[in-house]
Amino acid sequence: MRFPLSDHLAAGPRASRLGPGLFWVLDAAGAVIFALGLAGAVTHLAVGETGGPWPWLAALIAGALLRALANFAAAGAGARRARGLKGALRERVLRAALRTPAGQAAPIGERAAAVVDEVEALDGWFARFEPLALAARISPVLVLCAIAVASPISALILVGALIPFALIMALAGMMAADAARAQFEALGRLSGLFMDRVRALPMVLAFQAEAAEAAKVEGAARGVARRTLAVLRFAFLSSAGLEFFAALSVALVAVYAGFNLLGLLPIPVPEQLDLGRALFVLALAPEVYLPLRRLAGAYHDKQAGQAAAERLARLLDGPAVPAAGGEGFQDAPDIAFEAVRLTYPGGATIGPISFTAPAGQVTVLLGASGSGKTSLLSALVGAAPLSAGEVRVGGCRLSSEGSFARSVAWAGQAPALAPGSVADNISLGRPGASTELVATIADKVGLAAAMAGRAEGLATRLDERGSGLSGGERRRIGLARAWLKPAPILCLDEPTADLDARAEAEMIDVLASMARGRTVLIASHSEQVAAMADHVVRLP
Amino acid sequence: MTLSLQSLVAEQRRAQGHALMLSALAAAVLALCAVLLMGLSGWFIAAAAAAGAGGKAAVMAFNYLLPSAGIRLLAILRTGARYGERLAGHAAALNALAEIRPALYRALARGRPEAALALSSGEASARLVQDVDAVETLFVRLSAPWSAAAALVAGLALTLLAGPVPALCLLAAMGLLLVIGRLLAQGVSTEPGREVQGATGELKDAVAAYLAASPDLVCYDLEDRAVAAVMAHDQRLGQAQGRVVDGEALMAALQAVVSGLAVAAVLLAARDVAIPLAALAALSTVVALEGAAGLLRAFERAGAAAEAERRLNEVLIPLSEPARSPDPFGVRDLTLPISGGVRLAPGVRAALVGPSGCGKTQMLERLIGLRTAGLEGFAIAGTPLARLTPAFVRSQFAYGPQDARLLTGSVRDNLLLASPRASDAELWLALADAGLEDRISAMAGGLDAWVGEGGARLSGGERRRLSLARALLRPSPWLVLDEPTEGLDSQTEALVIARLEQRLARTGQGLLLVSHRPAPLALCDRTLRLADPVAGLQPLATTAG
Repeated sequence: MRFPLSDHLAAGPRASRLGPGLFWVLDAAGAVIFALGLAGAVTHLAVGETGGPWPWLAALIAGALLRALANFAAAGAGARRARGLKGALRERVLRAALRTPAGQAAPIGERAAAVVDEVEALDGWFARFEPLALAARISPVLVLCAIAVASPISALILVGALIPFALIMALAGMMAADAARAQFEALGRLSGLFMDRVRALPMVLAFQAEAAEAAKVEGAARGVARRTLAVLRFAFLSSAGLEFFAALSVALVAVYAGFNLLGLLPIPVPEQLDLGRALFVLALAPEVYLPLRRLAGAYHDKQAGQAAAERLARLLDGPAVPAAGGEGFQDAPDIAFEAVRLTYPGGATIGPISFTAPAGQVTVLLGASGSGKTSLLSALVGAAPLSAGEVRVGGCRLSSEGSFARSVAWAGQAPALAPGSVADNISLGRPGASTELVATIADKVGLAAAMAGRAEGLATRLDERGSGLSGGERRRIGLARAWLKPAPILCLDEPTADLDARAEAEMIDVLASMARGRTVLIASHSEQVAAMADHVVRLP
Repeated sequence: MTLSLQSLVAEQRRAQGHALMLSALAAAVLALCAVLLMGLSGWFIAAAAAAGAGGKAAVMAFNYLLPSAGIRLLAILRTGARYGERLAGHAAALNALAEIRPALYRALARGRPEAALALSSGEASARLVQDVDAVETLFVRLSAPWSAAAALVAGLALTLLAGPVPALCLLAAMGLLLVIGRLLAQGVSTEPGREVQGATGELKDAVAAYLAASPDLVCYDLEDRAVAAVMAHDQRLGQAQGRVVDGEALMAALQAVVSGLAVAAVLLAARDVAIPLAALAALSTVVALEGAAGLLRAFERAGAAAEAERRLNEVLIPLSEPARSPDPFGVRDLTLPISGGVRLAPGVRAALVGPSGCGKTQMLERLIGLRTAGLEGFAIAGTPLARLTPAFVRSQFAYGPQDARLLTGSVRDNLLLASPRASDAELWLALADAGLEDRISAMAGGLDAWVGEGGARLSGGERRRLSLARALLRPSPWLVLDEPTEGLDSQTEALVIARLEQRLARTGQGLLLVSHRPAPLALCDRTLRLADPVAGLQPLATTAG
């Protein structure tokens, strides 16, 4: 079976499962030393031979310490491996999520969940399942070899019991996989339902629907409990099978060794055990199965990882917004939308829409939310779900350029902020802009006045969410940045949303100054903004 | 009725008592069998060796049938016990889960509505779900002490055969293991677990912030900086997770070390007894200490579970029910604490205006029974709000908030929340009145179209209009609307206002409206000005009026 993400995973020694896997094998080696010490110590206890039990007891304790260290190191190495792989994968998933064209992608919440939760769901796969799968191939062989040295027949008995053991694991794995995955998703939906109804609780209370919604949660929870139990009954049967063969093989080895020692075996065997060998074999017998049982215990990790990996592979292999290419325009170009059609996931379409935004003038796209204003703007940076038509900027075609991002200054409703100062974030529009220039622009968009109350003014540090700033202040940072960017096309998305009439009038003056010398596209639903435009395009 | 998580869990423990008892019993049998199987096998081999060395007479005198049959019986018994333990334990946990979540939901609904408002953020509700999960794992682990106790008892019984000192060694080792394990769990598991939680939340917030602004990233070459900022959070998360894993690994290492030392001690203490008994004591010590593994894992999670319980108890504080609940029928007048007290007669249409941040939204939330603090000056039919039951208060209002969270489900699910028995025709009428009819009928499935998680498949304006349609469906004496036409073009706005006018004229409902857009204000026959922040209102963070 091929892991769905293999093409996207980082390679190299740090990504190898060899490290943590071998630590698990070292645990088996510790078990061998422990068994050796135990058998030796018991046989030498009363015999009073030279040295007595002391060296054996030392081996016993050394074996135990080795196991302790191996366990600790295996878990740590597994976690470090998972951290490295998850980090690299998360970066790729994040870039893919950021570059997914608007409309073609799942909603933001789902994509954020992919970057955080779905990558996290692979933790157990990387940290435990893969290393344990490696150890499950090596450790039983190692332990069997040690047993074979002491008693080849016992090793044969254990191999004989191991084969049905492995068969059951494979069989149960195949049969349980689908049922368990379905169950896993049902459980996920259940906790989703509970969480959703908790989040919506204020509305549920306002509409006095708490009894009905609690009944829904109850019905879903009972259904999931019933179905899960049905699946578990089966899944546990397979683990009981593992348990049975593990216990049976220990019993068989014990009985065989006992009868061998008594000389009462019904058939002649080519070996005569002594107490030490017999005890060694007995103490090691359960260790043959331990790696397989550990692997079975990590099976849930595999299920969770598999489901997440399939979803992530779809995102990683999906379409991407092209990187900003080309030289960029020097002078304000005209922009023509020719029979553009937008198609959203789920099949909703908008258009065909045709209009021209003349060079150096202000064009306002006026329409209700959902009419596709923002999508049309983002077509210029290659981020719209364009299914037909063409966009021409200064004669260049979007279909061949991919994106005009170099020539576009953009100010959206929630600008992206980089950790750093307010001034840093403004100067992203023109790297290397002087402090004075940044301060002047901040003043012009009304940001300086808004920030005046803060001790550090434009040097105020921001995190990526812009915590501590109001929505209006954040939007003004985006405007200042767009003003600063020496780009001949200016795209503004709802620059006056949530402003009252007076603030809107002030903002329109600001927009008029920003617009000079550029081709401007503004998406808005405000008639006041439309009034300042040279051209108004009313979207249906 | 008071309700705490403890009582909820205790009730489920009683309800699932049968399964829990079965699971504990099976766990005990399992541990017992494991210890006996290994101990007996060791003794059998050692005794057989002694008999084999003792010559033919000794072999003939050795009763091998009983021990070898016992070994096989124990192997089968162990398998059955393991199956029983896991199935019964999970049945108890799953059935308890199915009852605890709805019970918790009912308790939350009965609690202070402020808690519900606080839980509507993603972070808080995710936290709650994880807390519930943490409490649920308690159920699966309930058999752990029984398992450890049975293993200890069996181990003690077998080591006693080799003398009191080996038995004491086992007892001391078990005690040491549990005490150190407990201390270790408190020291290394609880705090890193909390850090993982916080770091995950911050990571998700950072990712969502950048996803919402992807054109910015291409226009300002911000992608690398965005990725660096997100990956810094990823680093913090990784470090916290590393500490959690270290804690768990330390526990496994502790068990291996204690087990090794204990066996060595037992063997030394048993050096004067017969070899078969020494073998029995040594092997049963190993297995008896393995029986504590489940309990050690329970310790690891105990810290998180205790903290989860504490947090859940905080949101479960029930509201003390006020005395009065007038006749629920009929339309009543309202009193609002604006400029010394304003009385609104039934059917009045009032606009609530004032600068952003002056507390209009919080005032509405108090009026309609979603807040319990600062109710001075509010009254319905002259009775102060604080003396009315929340159920009565809420029955008086149909609320269309500024940014409603929709239910994850269909359009119909969302509308039926307001009026469970409404017909399809009524639903379509409400959608038409909210200016959303065309949009919904264009969606695949119509009323059954899926709106996505919290309405994520709709735009902000569409969510608001669906929330308006929902409010219109509820036949309450007062309609309370917060910015109902924000985000609409003027044509649709005019349509929505005209439809609202007709609807109000037909139903005779009163209207309380907050809007900074001028058009809807035309519906109102009086204006209430909220100039200064209302005394007692907290500074507003996210609920700008």
